[in-house]
Amino acid sequence: MLSRIARNIYELGQQIERAENIARILDVNRRMSLEQGYFSELDVWSPMLAITRSREAFDTVYDEVTEQNVMAFLIADTEHPYSIRFCLNEAREMARTVRERISEEMWLYLNRMYHDIQLPGKTDRHDAFLIDIRQFCSAFHGLVDNTMSHGESWNFLRLGVGLERAQMTTRILEIKYHLLLPSADEIGKPLDYHQWQALLRSVSGYEAYRRQYRARIDPAMVLRLLNLDPRFPRSVHFSIKQVSRALKSIGTVNKTQYMLLRETEYFLNDLRGGAALEQMQTMGLKDYLESVQERCDRIAEMIDLSFFNSVTVTLTDANRNLISVQIPQQQQV
Amino acid sequence: MKSIFSSSGAAPFDEAYASTEDIRALYQQAFRYFDVLGIDGVESLQHSADLSMLNQGVTFTVYSDARGTEKIFPFDLMPRIITAADWNVVEAGVVQRMQALNLFLEDVYHEQKILKDGIVPTAQVMMSSLFCREMSGLNPPGGIHVHIGGIDLIRNASGDFHVLEDNLRVPSGVSYVIENRWVMGRVQSKLLNQYKVRPVDHYPQMLFNSLISLSNRDNPNVAVLTPGIFNSAYFEHSFLANQMGAELVEGQDLLVDRDVVYMKTTKGLQRVDVIYLRIDTDFLDPLAFRPDSMLGVPGIMNAYRAGNVVLANAPGNGVADDKALYAYTPEIIRYYLNQEPILPIIPTYLGSREADLRFMLGNLAELVVKPTDASGGYGILVGSHATKKELADFRVALAANPDHYIAQPIQQLSTHPTWVEQDGNKGFFPRHVDLRPYAVCDVNGDVKVLPGGLTRVALRQGSLVVNSSQGGGSKDTWVLYPNASEVTHA
Repeated sequence: MLSRIARNIYELGQQIERAENIARILDVNRRMSLEQGYFSELDVWSPMLAITRSREAFDTVYDEVTEQNVMAFLIADTEHPYSIRFCLNEAREMARTVRERISEEMWLYLNRMYHDIQLPGKTDRHDAFLIDIRQFCSAFHGLVDNTMSHGESWNFLRLGVGLERAQMTTRILEIKYHLLLPSADEIGKPLDYHQWQALLRSVSGYEAYRRQYRARIDPAMVLRLLNLDPRFPRSVHFSIKQVSRALKSIGTVNKTQYMLLRETEYFLNDLRGGAALEQMQTMGLKDYLESVQERCDRIAEMIDLSFFNSVTVTLTDANRNLISVQIPQQQQV
Repeated sequence: MKSIFSSSGAAPFDEAYASTEDIRALYQQAFRYFDVLGIDGVESLQHSADLSMLNQGVTFTVYSDARGTEKIFPFDLMPRIITAADWNVVEAGVVQRMQALNLFLEDVYHEQKILKDGIVPTAQVMMSSLFCREMSGLNPPGGIHVHIGGIDLIRNASGDFHVLEDNLRVPSGVSYVIENRWVMGRVQSKLLNQYKVRPVDHYPQMLFNSLISLSNRDNPNVAVLTPGIFNSAYFEHSFLANQMGAELVEGQDLLVDRDVVYMKTTKGLQRVDVIYLRIDTDFLDPLAFRPDSMLGVPGIMNAYRAGNVVLANAPGNGVADDKALYAYTPEIIRYYLNQEPILPIIPTYLGSREADLRFMLGNLAELVVKPTDASGGYGILVGSHATKKELADFRVALAANPDHYIAQPIQQLSTHPTWVEQDGNKGFFPRHVDLRPYAVCDVNGDVKVLPGGLTRVALRQGSLVVNSSQGGGSKDTWVLYPNASEVTHA
């Protein structure tokens, strides 16, 4: 498959997943802010900007952090890479370049959604819009799995989705350390409990948690579910497993691709065995999440290098032997 | 019941009316069908057709718009119907032109006999900015230069098809021919079934067969080279690649290593044997043409010259579809084929000939004047529609640069009932149409014409300019089987 096409399919998956997760993040907040009546001094909107890495961009557009502004920015901004509208526009742009690789149904569905959100006023009703987006993304994944041949294209799409989901799940968990409780006394109290519950719901994990760990919400168990559970589809473990499966199906034909697969397998092993759990306990939540994000970033870089941005050409060395050399592709201008 | 059709404003030759009162037998079924639907019925069908186009992404990009907005190419529900007898003439005429122009191109890039024999002035070819020096002496497979051609035809007051211009470089629009038929099949299959219409959806197969015939390697890899997603015809590039099962590539996806062209894939480099070019030759190879091109592939012309890759259409075809060369095409046909042209051309005055220029300057108001080096309907002056000042300005431009202009008497393009609003009423009113049939040519010089084509329609009342960039729309074109109940335009 053409490297450019593979990259665009990968980014298509990434953008759809990102749009969905921004919607989920905004949803945690909406649920959490329902309790805000008791603690009006609690700033729940700055953390949104922190975990979506949006603060700087936001400040260039708005003067004040308010619900209205943050929502408008993360939903409808046309330039910011962490706004839902931007993600969907990008996804549709990517889909246009790979139309011959994806199914007709996927294209029609995405294109309709794209034209739909361009309608004036469409993004103004935030709650309804966020629900629409989550439904859209879920249905899109359904189409991906049910109408697209599970070949190379599908695997690159899955690769983009899996890696983005692993990163975004850790971002959602970050909310808990950005969103400080009014005092340490509140730990384990109803507000804390309520926040964890909101977080679980936003990743569709409330039922899964209850079935596995019963009614009592224990932060350690929530972290375990969202990081290490091999069966919960939004956990880091599950997502990286998808990445690993996708990479294995795509196959490795050169050294950088092999290195990438090896890196992924190490990561997966840590999540599968006790290593990640141990790290989580010794490093503390913040450092642990950071280390997960760094590993994801490294895998993303290696994917870029091994599939999208280098070619192997044959050269003759000093002894006139043919040797294969991997060179970076020209930078896009 | 009041008819939703009106012949008010029809040209001397209308496709559907024999006279202002008389509907041609060929169209009577269609008229009945739409009259039964009524205004609301047609509007609702039109709406679902438009929506279907938008959702499918059958759109083109308008350059003048800052955001590069996507628009659908307006699609008209009333089909343009052509009898088998009329089509036979068109088909034979298109085949003849393609063959003659292929021979012409092979000649001007090799021995130049036609120039030596004085049939076409040497200056006309050699001084043309479209003459491609890099093609001199280069031997494309089978000596074929035009693999894909689109010949623009019009019917004037006489009712006969005339050639308006040849498109031998990157003729576009064939995807609309196929999409229009699909939409037709979806929204009004009933009417489609009432006529015996020849199918058009095998075009990608025709194209693919012609392209692979050009390579002598087994299972050649075919790629479609597009300038990218921002090109106005991107939809078509993607559509054709998809339908042919070929790879859609941009310049950045290709590289040339020791005169062989490769695609960069996730599994390394993969050889490319045939490239269907959808980018302008100027941008094709920065080493051979414009050095500032970011869209092209450095070294691709060397690979072509070495015979390791085939480019279709061949670069340098512009010299044969130049608007000034058009005046010589009947002679070219006689010279190479020893046949009389089947499709007549429109009398053409060349700014480069002194007598013609004098005539042009004196009769500007009765002429259509076109720059020789532009397409898409840009820079055209329609004398009868121009203001005094426009005429004066144009006269200055023409006198300053006469070689760049040609002129033709204003033609009464035929009209066809088209769904528009006229005088405050919605209905089918006559609008001017043209026809672009598409032909492909394989390595043996065998030319096949797609039975159908793009009928473009000028949606503005009285307008003669049908280009999509100038507010034109399109119609599905129905070429009937020979045994379909026939009526000739007598």
